[in-house]
Amino acid sequence: MVEIEVVDKTDNTIRLFIRGVDVSFVNTLRRLILTEIPSMAVDDVVILENSSVLNDEILVHRLGLTPLTTDLDSYNLPEECPCQSEFGCNLCRVALALNVEAVEGTRTVYSGDLVSENPDVKPVSDRICIVKLVQDQKVKLEAYARLGKGKVHAKWQPVSMCAYKFFPQIKIDGKLCDACEDCVKVCPKAVFVKVGDKIEVRNVTDCTLCEDCMDACAKDPSAVELTWDKNAFIFDIESTGALPVERLVRESLNILDKKLKSFLKNLKKVK
Amino acid sequence: MEVNVIIIPVRCFTCGSLIGDKWEDFAMRIKQGEDAGNVLDSLGMKRYCCRRMLLSHVEIIDEILKFYEETKKRETP
Repeated sequence: MVEIEVVDKTDNTIRLFIRGVDVSFVNTLRRLILTEIPSMAVDDVVILENSSVLNDEILVHRLGLTPLTTDLDSYNLPEECPCQSEFGCNLCRVALALNVEAVEGTRTVYSGDLVSENPDVKPVSDRICIVKLVQDQKVKLEAYARLGKGKVHAKWQPVSMCAYKFFPQIKIDGKLCDACEDCVKVCPKAVFVKVGDKIEVRNVTDCTLCEDCMDACAKDPSAVELTWDKNAFIFDIESTGALPVERLVRESLNILDKKLKSFLKNLKKVK
Repeated sequence: MEVNVIIIPVRCFTCGSLIGDKWEDFAMRIKQGEDAGNVLDSLGMKRYCCRRMLLSHVEIIDEILKFYEETKKRETP
């Protein structure tokens, strides 16, 4: 039985405990989140005027890397869109306009100056510096955002961190341990605490499985026994803001489902 | 290796998290004499890859813009 527990959740991060699955399954989820979940990013830019000190390519690169909030349900991937047009249609493309001139002295152009045709698709933050302009310099352009996948370009990756580790299991042998505190001193994550004349394990989820505590223990065999549960994982996801984190987990499972179904379909053809 | 970054990068080179919106706040608070480590913590930057992006950044565009500003000043009498 698969058990999933949400341990910690903020706007852009989530920490899950996943129990009862093996490492290949969790790794599949990780790889799907990194490479297969579509998100919005600027892909084509028409530059009408650019008198800033940054050249067009750098400006466009910065626009491309700007994370955009994604409305997954209303848009199609360009390759799956019925329009099949190279330029795109309303179902697979969003236009964002940028028209800024420094009228009074030097000014910074922020991502908030981008005007999107769809208010649901806009930069995650309004305060991203795009370029700085001296008086009379001007940037005027139209950017086209499309859905894309992380395997094509990292700008379409909806996460800035997506990683898992085995669930640590630390046991201290009370008979062997003389509370010398060597493990307390050596642990980089402060997993051990001395309480009275005993060493206790706290924050077991912070453990990085480095095994320094076992090496530091003077006893032979070591009084600290560090192992890990091969079927339980601590899964961390940090979204760029393009999609909500819960949606990322759900979407990765949908994609896995789709992939398995098409695999099964093709397998039947072989028979 | 010298990396020519004349304006704060939009994302962290290593992990891809957004840093382009944090630079101005960071630079202002450092100028006021706050401890860089504390500022980074309060901006929610946990990993050392993102932290070095802000810590080691020099906003060269500000220096370049001075030439243009000066030219502008001399144009108008």
